[in-house]
This record gives sequence, C-alpha cells and structure tokens, in this order.
Amino acid sequence: MKRYVVRRVAAFAVTLFFVSAVVFVVVRVLPGDPAELILGTEGNPETLERLRRSLGLDRPLPVQYVEWLAGAVRGDLGTSIQYDVPVGRLIVSRLPVTLPLTLLAAGFMIAVAVPLGVYAATRYRRTADYLAMVVSQLGIAVPSFWSGLLLILFFSVQLGWFRSGGFEGWASGVWPGVKSLLLPALALGLFQAAVLVRATRSAVLDVMREDFVRTARAKGLTERRVIALHTLRNALIPIITVIGLQLGQLMAGSIVLESVFSLPGLGRLALGAITARDLPVVQGVTLFVAGSIVFINFAVDLAYVLVDPRIGYET
Amino acid sequence: MRRIMTALALIICTFALVTSTAAQAPRALVVQTGTEPPGLDLTATPATATAAVVFYNIQESLVKVDAHGKIVPWLAERWHTADNRNYTFFLKKGVRFHNGRELKAADVKFVIERAMNPETKHPHTAHYAAIGDIIVTDDYTITFSLKAPSANFLLTMARSGSVIYPKEAVDTLKSAPVGTGPFMLADWVRGDRIVLKRRADYHVKGLPKVEQVTFRFIADPNAALAALKSGDIDASLFGLGPEHVTDLKKDGRFAVIIGETTNDVIMAMNNSRKPFTDVRVRRAITHAINKPDVVKLAMFGMGRVIGSNVDPLNPYFVDVAAAVAHDPARAKKLLAEAGYPGGFETVLKVAPQYYYTVRAGEVIADQLAKVGVKVKIEQIEWGQWLSRVYKEADYDLTIIGHGEAWDIGNYANPKYYFRYDSAKFQDLFKQSEVTIDDKARREQYAQMQKMLAEDAPVVFLFIHPRLAAAKKGVTGFWKDLPTPSADLSEVGWSTSR
Repeated sequence: MKRYVVRRVAAFAVTLFFVSAVVFVVVRVLPGDPAELILGTEGNPETLERLRRSLGLDRPLPVQYVEWLAGAVRGDLGTSIQYDVPVGRLIVSRLPVTLPLTLLAAGFMIAVAVPLGVYAATRYRRTADYLAMVVSQLGIAVPSFWSGLLLILFFSVQLGWFRSGGFEGWASGVWPGVKSLLLPALALGLFQAAVLVRATRSAVLDVMREDFVRTARAKGLTERRVIALHTLRNALIPIITVIGLQLGQLMAGSIVLESVFSLPGLGRLALGAITARDLPVVQGVTLFVAGSIVFINFAVDLAYVLVDPRIGYET
Repeated sequence: MRRIMTALALIICTFALVTSTAAQAPRALVVQTGTEPPGLDLTATPATATAAVVFYNIQESLVKVDAHGKIVPWLAERWHTADNRNYTFFLKKGVRFHNGRELKAADVKFVIERAMNPETKHPHTAHYAAIGDIIVTDDYTITFSLKAPSANFLLTMARSGSVIYPKEAVDTLKSAPVGTGPFMLADWVRGDRIVLKRRADYHVKGLPKVEQVTFRFIADPNAALAALKSGDIDASLFGLGPEHVTDLKKDGRFAVIIGETTNDVIMAMNNSRKPFTDVRVRRAITHAINKPDVVKLAMFGMGRVIGSNVDPLNPYFVDVAAAVAHDPARAKKLLAEAGYPGGFETVLKVAPQYYYTVRAGEVIADQLAKVGVKVKIEQIEWGQWLSRVYKEADYDLTIIGHGEAWDIGNYANPKYYFRYDSAKFQDLFKQSEVTIDDKARREQYAQMQKMLAEDAPVVFLFIHPRLAAAKKGVTGFWKDLPTPSADLSEVGWSTSR
C-alpha cells in the first residue's frame, strides 16, 4: 500500500508538471497578450511595448516558465495582472464558493440518481423504468446554462424565493450562503444526475443477472435485502468510478454556472482570466483544478478497497 | 372608554410609524455593470469598466465633462488663459481627499508629471506631450505652460487619465484608489462586487444622495435582466441588449434609459488590402449597405445612423448620414468601374464578445450579397481580434464600436488598423490640433467629417445607444454618456416612492 501511494504521488507530480507546461505554452501561443487586452483599442505600438516590458512579457518563454515553476514549487503562483493580488490568495478566496457548490451539486446528484437508477433497474422494462429513462434523457438533453436560466426565471423572478444570482457570503450565516448556492447546484447537478441514473441502472442490471443474486433470492431473502446487500454493493465499483469522473466534470461545469448565477467562484475566475489573458491566474487555476481532479481519482482508487476487499494495492 | 382611547392611540401611533417608514427613501443602491474592472487604477488602464466605477465616483479631475458633454470647472473652480499656451487653474479651497488631507496644487503637479512620465504604465502619455512647465504659484494656483498651443489641452485635463489623487496613495491605486470623489471605496469582493460608501465632507453640498452604492458584476445580459426583475438590483447600467430594453419598456416597474454615447459602430475596411485600396470599392460597399435596416434588424431600431466619425455628443458634430446613401445600383456601377463587375469574395471578422458585431455582420453580409460581394463571416475571440485585426491589420472587413470620444485622429494615423493614408486628411487634422479659434476649428472638423464620409475609409454605421434600466423611483442617472463614467453622485430615490 505504501509503495502504491508513493507511486501515485510521483505520478501526481509528473501530471501537474505536464499540465503546467502545456497550459503555459497554450496560453502564450494564443493570439493576444495581457498588454493588448489592457490597452484595448486605445493602445499604440510604443505604449504596448512599454506595458509588455513592465509585465515581463518581453523575456524569452523558457525564462518565464522556469521562473514561474520555481515560484510554484515554493508555493508562490505569482500575482494576478488584473487584480494585483497573489494568485494563491485569489484561489483560496474563491474556494468557499466553488467547493460548497460542487459538493452540493454532487450531493444532489448522488441523492437523486443512485436511488432512481436502482429503482429503474428493479422495474426493468416496466413503466417506472421507462419513465426514469425519459426523465434522465431530458436531463442530459438540457444544457446546464439553460436549466440555470429556467430555474432563475421560475424561483427568482416568478416566485421570488431565491436571489437571481450573486453570493451572500458565509459571514451572514450558513443558510444565506447555502441559499445563494442552491439553484446553481441544482442546475449543475441535474445534467450529471441524469448521466448517473443511467450508469447506476445499467451497473445494477448487470449485477442482478449474476448467479449470487439468484442464490440470494433462492435463500429466501427479501427483495430489499437482495438489492441493498448483494446487488448494490457489487454494482458500486462502476458507480463510484462514474461519480469520480463526474466530480471533475462538476468542477469544470461550474465555469458556466458561476457565470449564469454571477457567483464569485473559481470557474468565473478562470473564465475572466482567460478572457483578460491574466496568465498567472490561468496557470494557477488550471494547476489547482488539475491537482484536484488527480486527487479525486486517487481517492476513488482508495475507495475501491473499502467497497471491495478483494482489491488490494500491495503489488 | 379608556381602553378604547388607548387602542385608538396605539393604532394611530402604529400608522404614523408605518407611514413615516414608507416615506423614508432607501439610502443604498445596487447597480449592475457588465465587466469587472481590470484593476481600479485610471492612470494604468483605459478600460471603460474601470472608468465606469472609479471616474467621478471615487476620483475626479480639475475639469469635468458634464452630462451634456461640456467641459466645466470641477476641482478647479475656474481657469484662465490669455494666450492659449499658459493655462492657470485656481483650485477649490477645502477639497479633501478620502484620507482627510486637503488637495493642494502640489498634488496636481505630481499627478500630471507622473502621467507625462513614459516609465509609468499610463496608457496615454502622448496626450501630455504638449506640456512644458508646471508652475505651482501657491497651494491653490497652478499654471501649465505648453510648448505650443494645443486645442485639446482642457480635454486632456478632463480625461479619466488626469484624475487627481494624493501622492501618498500612489502605490495602492490599482486596488484601493483614493481621490476626492463623492464615494470612498469600502470593499472589492473580486469577482462579485465593489461597494462604495458616501463621504460626508464631499466638496459639492448635498451630494451624494445615497449612503452606499454597490456595483455588482453581472456579465450575462439575461442574468442582469432576471436580477432586475427579481429585485436583486436597482438598476442595470451596462450590458443590456436592445431586446432586454424592449422587454423592460413593457414592465411598469421600470424606467428605461435610451441615450446617446460616443460609441460609433463602424465596419472597417482594410485600406491597404485589395480591393479596398480603391476608393470606388469602399464607396460601393457604403452604398450597398442599408444602415437604417442594419439598426432595425440588429438593434431593434435603437441607435442613430451616422455618416462620419464624430459622435452627436461632440460639439463639432455634423450630420452627414445621408452623404453616401443606400443605393445598390450605384454600388454595382462603382464596382464595375473598379474592375469588379461580378463582385468579389471577402472575409468579415467579428468578435462575439460584442453581440452587435455579429448581428450587424449577418445583416450586412446579406445586403452585400445583393451587389455581388460574397462575405464570409469569421467569429474570433476578443483577444485574437486585438492581436490579429487591431495590431496586425490582418483582415479584410471587421465590425467594432469605438467608444473613445474625440478619436478622429485615428484616421490621421496611417499605421492605425484602418490603414487609411490620406496626406490631405492628415494635414487637416494637424491644423485642427493647433487651431484655438472655435469657429475655425469647427469648420476644420466639419471638413474632416465630410472628407471621411466621401473617402469612406470605413463604413460608419450607427451610434450604439446607451441602454440602461432602473426601478421606478431611482432618479439622477445621466441620459447620455459623453464620457465612459457612470456618475452616481446625483442618483437617489425619489421620496414619493
């Protein structure tokens, strides 16, 4: 197990290194640099050159990269061009929005999709199954920005129950904070829930055809026990794999939803930074998100052991 | 009986309390703006998003462009010049910065000398090139001695890059600007909002009218509309499209503001690239475009058709919208004369970040097809537009709005992305820069506008209107935007609300 963890940590570092190098090059290869975006249509060649020099953009790319990497290793991700604030602090300041948003969406997704998927599987090819599949198909077909707008129109504009966007902050209490995140979490989780319903249903259906399920039924166990103890537990491996992948997608999906709901989260920070070519922020956020996704995958691998004792990482 | 009297008294008291609360106007205001400022330093960025929040609200200049586009005394109570080379400003006494220190002439000298210094990040050091000496006579008197007469000197002093701030706050301009404005920066929650608080000792008595203003950054116009309708914001200042304004007009809870701006939307033609090197082709393209239809279809009819560069808020504006009228037959004839009887193929680059460029592009492509010019529309991201089109002039056609006021000089710069190179126009512009006599200068501006209409270096399409909306009861917004500021000093709630 120890060797496995060491191997994974090494792979983690290498992945982050590659991600940082690719992002560094890609962002700089894109036409348009921060100086051009700062000056907009009021820039002239002399001012532009001066600004590029003062931002350090005139130095060779490898020099810029090595300098940035050396800082990153020490935990210094540079300073945002746009905000004039250390990137690390900027990322940390956005986590109280994005993290709860992702967790809420994930909670909603799991709470709705897993029971619905199991139920659909137990009602295979019956009305309830078809109904669940139609609903999940609808969920997949509706883009999250659209469902977000519909939720705003109904719950904010029509009913006035929620704010249409923005974040109250946690300072004013847990409920106002959660209230600001409920609608976006719902819109964000809806699409992924629809995907998870289908994944859960098919995983459960596969296991239900296994001999040990038939044996469990033959033993005279109630259907509820057969599903809960024998079927679902054995179907959990693919379900957890899908959930792990979806957590990463939820983080990525927050870019769109945070814009629709005007939430000051990591996604909106990334989007604004790309538009403004705020290179240190783009690099910092990408590195952070990539690190989080690698970490989630690692956690998923470890979760397999808990779910299925036959899996080990000794070799 | 006593009980009845007590109950009656209680009811009256409650009623009085309720009515007095109802009559009391709210003291805070939440407004939406589309883009978060890329830093709050007006001396380091020309971004209109920064000016919208900071200019006139937090920081001010010696003179101000008022709601009608006129330059009026502001931090200077008056100015004087006898020869148009030496300008003396007499500062208002008792004006204090937000840090409590009084504004003195030495601050003005420091600020303008810093703006002139090419080592700073000031985007427009060239605007101050005419300044020779700056002489501080006493704490409230300062004289600018120009190297040569400059017709734009007062305008330069009114620009957002000339705001006055205290020397000791120069290092925090980007994140915590200090100035003399009616509001002080209270909080900037990056990505969400900027909160400004009223100052009690503002140098204009009775202003500002509200205790607190919150600028919320909502980029998506549909989200801004929803926020307005659900009551989360009191006004939407930047970003609403014509369709949203049309929707809000029907809603009795809101007042819609449709005004003029300095944002002239043009379709630029690359004057250094064939076939647009030929003036006949450029005129043909202009004749082929039905501008009122473009405004009708792309802007729901909102926006004033223009024929040249100068915007209607400029005192030298001349209406030449009809100079090169819609005339497809004449367009075909001109194309044939230029050697393109069957038309030609060309590419129109637009940046979807500005919705009107895509919409106008689609209408124009359809209109140009009718005279044989086949337009392929290419949508590119804003950063790419700046790099490829604006910086490298790698384009045939492009649509964009130019928000800068007094920007006719761009047509006198052959390296500008229009690549329009006319010695006659350049001479005329150079003269206008040193002509002080208003009548003569007005005549030069009229000539320049007519020349641009005829030479057609670009197709002048329309002025993008100011599209804003506020809850009924909020008063004091400027109708027109002669400068990119969102001056909120006079905005408040009517007490009858």
